[in-house]
Amino acid sequence: MTSAEGSAPPARADSRQVLDLCIRTGDLLLRNGGEIFRVQETMSRIAAAFGARSFQVYVLTNGLFACVEEDGVPHSAQVRMVPLSPVNLDRVCEINELSREIAAGKHTIEEAYARLEAIERMPAMQPWLQVLASAAGSGCFGFLFGGGPYDAFVSLIAGGLAWVFVLLAGHWRLSKLLTNIAASALVAVVCLLGARMGPAFGGQIDRMIIGAIVPLLPGVPFTNGIRDYINSDYLSGTIRLIDALLIAGCIAIGVGFVLKMYSYL
Amino acid sequence: MELLHFVVSFVATVCFAMLFNVPRRQYVFCGFTGAVGWMCYRILITAVSVPAASLAATMALAALSRVFAVKRKAPITVFLLSGIFPLVPGAGIYNTAYAFFMDDNAMAVYHGVETLKCAVAIALGIALVLSIPYRRRAKQA
Repeated sequence: MTSAEGSAPPARADSRQVLDLCIRTGDLLLRNGGEIFRVQETMSRIAAAFGARSFQVYVLTNGLFACVEEDGVPHSAQVRMVPLSPVNLDRVCEINELSREIAAGKHTIEEAYARLEAIERMPAMQPWLQVLASAAGSGCFGFLFGGGPYDAFVSLIAGGLAWVFVLLAGHWRLSKLLTNIAASALVAVVCLLGARMGPAFGGQIDRMIIGAIVPLLPGVPFTNGIRDYINSDYLSGTIRLIDALLIAGCIAIGVGFVLKMYSYL
Repeated sequence: MELLHFVVSFVATVCFAMLFNVPRRQYVFCGFTGAVGWMCYRILITAVSVPAASLAATMALAALSRVFAVKRKAPITVFLLSGIFPLVPGAGIYNTAYAFFMDDNAMAVYHGVETLKCAVAIALGIALVLSIPYRRRAKQA
């Protein structure tokens, strides 16, 4: 009798630990661009691998709910809010790898924790490299969408500056809507200046702007939203698609406003 | 010209893969996915409408993403998110915004509907290809 009493508390602490690991893994996965289905499956897989019986999880685009039951009685539950944030696919890949290893029984729970913390600390790309990538990407798209070399060059400058602004806006904690409006307005201003300065090169203002707004386009929420819909996660999919629609609207407002002002000059 | 477009869309896709912190060992495959999507679009656009070309290009891109996801043992997200960018209707958004702000209502509606059609075509393309059930062996990816 004493042994049964003695063994109960550690078992309970253990399933609480498993739940905690699952929630933290799910949080990290959701934050960095994993779709709902993947988050739920990964969490369930980890819980099963560590022997948590009757593990329940419900995931939304911006929140996690999970609990472990024993004999039909929920005895440990967690709820966590997960804000929408930038995508980091390196972390998604690593967590994918980790969950497979856990499912294969390669890790103790302490080791799994250590790996998860290492993944959490994985650095994002250097800001100046991000700006460079954004600039180069914009320049390429300026060309792909039918611009000449000069147009692509202006796209490159505008796309780089837009990303500098996005990074600064993140630092200033500017709201997402305002960030997108202002960044696309900045793109339009830079492209207008470029077009005014280089008429001799045959500047096409529309090609420049279309190339330079590509880094701001809502490709990620759009794609992830569709994927949530495919997996019948309609509520999460709707949140993502509304996010995509609002971003597209913000870009339209930012660019349109500047061009309208310019037409009055 | 076609080769140049292939190379430039390859580089463009890799740039976006960098912005999303894709692991370095997958760069080439992301670039290839994006370039194939863009080339499909570019070739088809001469024959069919923009939404139809978007649909076909997205399907090619999504299929390739699935193949790479299995072969490269990475989540399909890695290839799909980077590769989709050349097809997202940025031009449509621009044209709609321009017409909207210039009080050209007829053109604003026209471009708006065109943009929506492209978005639906891309959504349909992804949905069609990703809904095909995974084989058991591929499920891990």
